[in-house]
Amino acid sequence: MFKNHLKIAFRSLWRNRAFSAINMFGLILGFTVFIFIAEYVAYEWNANRFHQNFNQLSRLSFLYKTGESNYYLPPGLGPTLKSNVPGIKQVVRIGENVGSGVLSINTGASKNVFREERVSFVDGQFLKVFTFPVLQGNGLLNEPQTMALSKTTAIKYFGNVNAVGKVIQVNNQFGNTDYTVTSVYQDMPQNSDIQADVLLSYKTLESAALRNGNDWADPTGLGSEYSYLYILTNENANLSQISAQATNLWHKLKPDSKNDHVGLQPFQNLHIAPGFSYQFQTYGSLLLLIAFLSVAMLIIVIAWVNYINLSTAQALNRAREVGVRKVLGASRGQLTLQYLTETFVLTTISLGVAMLMVLMLQAAYNSFLEKQLSLAVLNAGWFWLGGATLIISGTLLAGGYVSWVLSSFNPLKTIRSKAFLKVGGLSLRRGLVVFQFVTSIIFIIATIVLYEQLQYMQNQDLGMKVEQRLAVTGPSIINSSQRDNSIAFENEVRQLPFVKQLSASNNIPGQGYNFSTAGITKSNANPGDDKKSYAMLIVDDQFFKTYDINIKYGTGFTLPMLAHGWTKTKKVVLNEAAVRQLGYNDNNAIIGQKIKWNNDFEIVGVVKDYHHLGLHEQIKPMIFLPAVADGFFTLKMETANMSTKMEQIRSLYQKNFPGEPFSYSFLDEVYDKQYKTEYQLGKIFIAAAFTAVLIACMGLLGLAMFAARRRIKEIGIRKILGANVFSLVNLISADFLKLVVVALVVASPIAWYIMHRWLEGFAYRITMQWWMFASAGLMALFIAFATVSIQAIKAAVSNPVKSLRSE
Amino acid sequence: MLSLKQISKYYSSGGAKTYVLNRVDLDVDQGEFVSIMGPSGSGKSTLLNIIGMLDQPSEGYQYFLNEPVHQLKDKQRSALYKQNIGFVFQAYHLIDELTVYENIETPLLYQDVKSAERKALVADILDRFNIVGKKDLFPEQLSGGQQQLVGIARALISKPKLILADEPTGNLNSKQGEEIMELFKKLNKEDGVTVIQVTHSEKNAQYGSRIINLLDGKIDSSIIL
Ligand SMILES: Nc1ncnc2c1ncn2[C@@H]1O[C@H](COP(=O)(O)OP(=O)(O)O)[C@@H](O)[C@H]1O
Ligand SMILES: [Mg+2]
Repeated sequence: MFKNHLKIAFRSLWRNRAFSAINMFGLILGFTVFIFIAEYVAYEWNANRFHQNFNQLSRLSFLYKTGESNYYLPPGLGPTLKSNVPGIKQVVRIGENVGSGVLSINTGASKNVFREERVSFVDGQFLKVFTFPVLQGNGLLNEPQTMALSKTTAIKYFGNVNAVGKVIQVNNQFGNTDYTVTSVYQDMPQNSDIQADVLLSYKTLESAALRNGNDWADPTGLGSEYSYLYILTNENANLSQISAQATNLWHKLKPDSKNDHVGLQPFQNLHIAPGFSYQFQTYGSLLLLIAFLSVAMLIIVIAWVNYINLSTAQALNRAREVGVRKVLGASRGQLTLQYLTETFVLTTISLGVAMLMVLMLQAAYNSFLEKQLSLAVLNAGWFWLGGATLIISGTLLAGGYVSWVLSSFNPLKTIRSKAFLKVGGLSLRRGLVVFQFVTSIIFIIATIVLYEQLQYMQNQDLGMKVEQRLAVTGPSIINSSQRDNSIAFENEVRQLPFVKQLSASNNIPGQGYNFSTAGITKSNANPGDDKKSYAMLIVDDQFFKTYDINIKYGTGFTLPMLAHGWTKTKKVVLNEAAVRQLGYNDNNAIIGQKIKWNNDFEIVGVVKDYHHLGLHEQIKPMIFLPAVADGFFTLKMETANMSTKMEQIRSLYQKNFPGEPFSYSFLDEVYDKQYKTEYQLGKIFIAAAFTAVLIACMGLLGLAMFAARRRIKEIGIRKILGANVFSLVNLISADFLKLVVVALVVASPIAWYIMHRWLEGFAYRITMQWWMFASAGLMALFIAFATVSIQAIKAAVSNPVKSLRSE
Repeated sequence: MLSLKQISKYYSSGGAKTYVLNRVDLDVDQGEFVSIMGPSGSGKSTLLNIIGMLDQPSEGYQYFLNEPVHQLKDKQRSALYKQNIGFVFQAYHLIDELTVYENIETPLLYQDVKSAERKALVADILDRFNIVGKKDLFPEQLSGGQQQLVGIARALISKPKLILADEPTGNLNSKQGEEIMELFKKLNKEDGVTVIQVTHSEKNAQYGSRIINLLDGKIDSSIIL
């Protein structure tokens, strides 16, 4: 019997191939989008789950009374915790990217140098505790001056993974130090929140000589907070108890920290928060994940709705067959089974094609998301099972409904004449079309609002200029002549005819600050002022000019101020936000005032607020410090003929900083990168909107075809009575356009609410305008009209005599 | 074989009842060949459909093979006609997606007949109707007469005791019509199948053993030939 059903299913799908194609098209589109999004969701959900100790790991943090949290802790806290708090099996500290710099390998004849960013200092058990697979060596970093390389890095340096025992010179802020490779580890999975290409042993920094004067980095220190602390606990440890004991310990170690609490964030929640308003920061976004999931669900539901719509509309053509079969003795169950088989065949083919589409488009999708996704990521946890269950149950539901409608036909009526036949659920089908358009319109509105916001952020006056600014990364190798080299480089670059301005600073807009600190107040401070935090940036005398940042009061820095460095000069420039937070009046009298930061620092200038980082955040109170900086050189220049200019800059760089890799970026690009998530979200919404609209149009097309066929007699008669094509097209289209208008009315408030919530995530945002809704509605109307009128015109121009006779 | 007592069928429209059949009494014995005639709209098809249990009367008592049909549940009724009645339609009503062979086989599938037995039965009837060569063709590849032949073969495949034919020759030319009538006559005589047909043709009506004339929902006359 099933074989028979299968055979008939194939035949009738083939027979109605136009309809089947439209129907499958919707399902394929829906499934493809669904699978792609499921991949992303599975990937995010699986983040960090490869750690075998996943359930026993936690990240430590400081929770402040203000509700803020801080994940950079003093490294000295680590060992003390392990020996004092029961339940903690291991503490692993990570000084993330603290060791970044240049690695040089002596190959006898020549010296190969590589600039590495992801170089972290870690504790000896790091690889063991996080169970990163070790390919070569013992996986331990207990000794000073030992290191481990990722597989890719080892191959990059040595051509193979046999790097154990090799010696590499690392030039970074801690000077030039030789390290011996003890291990090579498997590359960290892309969905690991802990990432490093090179691991250096924390033990190294215990030697003052190897710190090169950077005593803040002392691993036993409790002063500077720069290290991540992860703990491995016993199987069923009581986290809140450990957290309380750790807090007590911290209060004992640092009596002035009584208000701080040591928080424990379970590793399971490191990437995705277990709920909204989670007190700890996460690497991934629950909101984004839920947004993605909702889009996927909506798209696939739209596809099924479409299936129902098209199939029931087509049922009219199948009615006679149903009637005949019933007369021949088919039971309702048998008929239902037959039509379910058809659904099954249709769905299976669609799913197969969707899989092919996924395989074909995977590379493009990956490069767009910048993630290594594949069908294989679904092969984890309950994703296969969940996805399969969802698809099967959806199919059963959609197919079941269609089969039920079909098999409920009264045989007598169907074989008698089509004129008596009423295919039930016309209002249901209208409802379904409205649903499809509601979803489509929401997507369209979301896309419009999102792009308006992006546009707004890009066109927003940043209070400075990033166009035509080139940032060259400064040297990493520290040696005695470094300062002279930097000054020589600056002078030579200034001589280049196309360079209009040059500034050296230790960080740049769009990238970050140098550090943030509290404990700065005006001389007559209010209680609590010392808890307020300021973002510090170390710059030279040309910085404000180079970035076109306006000076409001006073002056910028001068060359003599740089010469002695900020620790000696004791001069600062503030931004307006800092002026407000310090509690000064906003006028010229501020110049010459002294702020307290252990010592007195003199205010020599105030600059207008500018957006050092993106528009997500409010402008932070900033304090600029003068120095002969060399972190980045920013060149204001004409960007025409870039490649020859770049060659000139490069040769000067290599002359002054021999052995240093030359790397650069354009500031406007760096700046735009901050909106990457929004761009991606935008593209996803465009894709979702496009898919939803397309599928909805398929549904509309089906309904229009159905209506045109149902009313063919009426159209024929009207035509004979003298109706013109235009009025007939109107007759059919008007019905459907009403549905789209209803959809717009339903969709607008929903879209408004969702996008309102989304916009709240931006410190600087647009307000939604009525035209955003109107244009979404117009767009939907136009697309719907185009779809429907094709059918309507076809019906209207058909020969009336023919249509009347065939009735 | 079957008996209708005081059978009425009406449709209500706007409160008023329109009678299609009005207190009809009819008995048909095993082995009869009945022709029902009457003007268009007189209720012939309605009567045939009630006999075939595809339609239900509004009032009255109906017996089929001594079963009180008016008391049976839907399931029992359909089981009853599934096993005992074969339908032939004016518009043939073959299933377009199925070949001749599969069309004829379909009723057996719904009765869960074993595959081997199905094969034998279908082969047998194809042979009897001389359409073995056409078994893999689809309905649209056949002439009207051939389609009706297949329709009848399909009606006969489950060996029904009663054949109900609603204007079986209505779409055929007179020569094709004659062949069909000969076939009915042969089935009736040689296999003892009871036949009730609706026809507009005086000539075709003569093939039967009794002619019933319907007028305004009532039996106007019943003539035994
Ligand atoms: N579902 C229905 N609703 C209302 N009237 C109907 C319905 N079905 C049949 N009729 C009417 O019943 C009458 C008899 O129909 P029918 O039995 O098909 O006549 P015949 O086959 O003799 O031409 C016709 O007038 C027809 O319009
Ligand atoms: Mg009739």
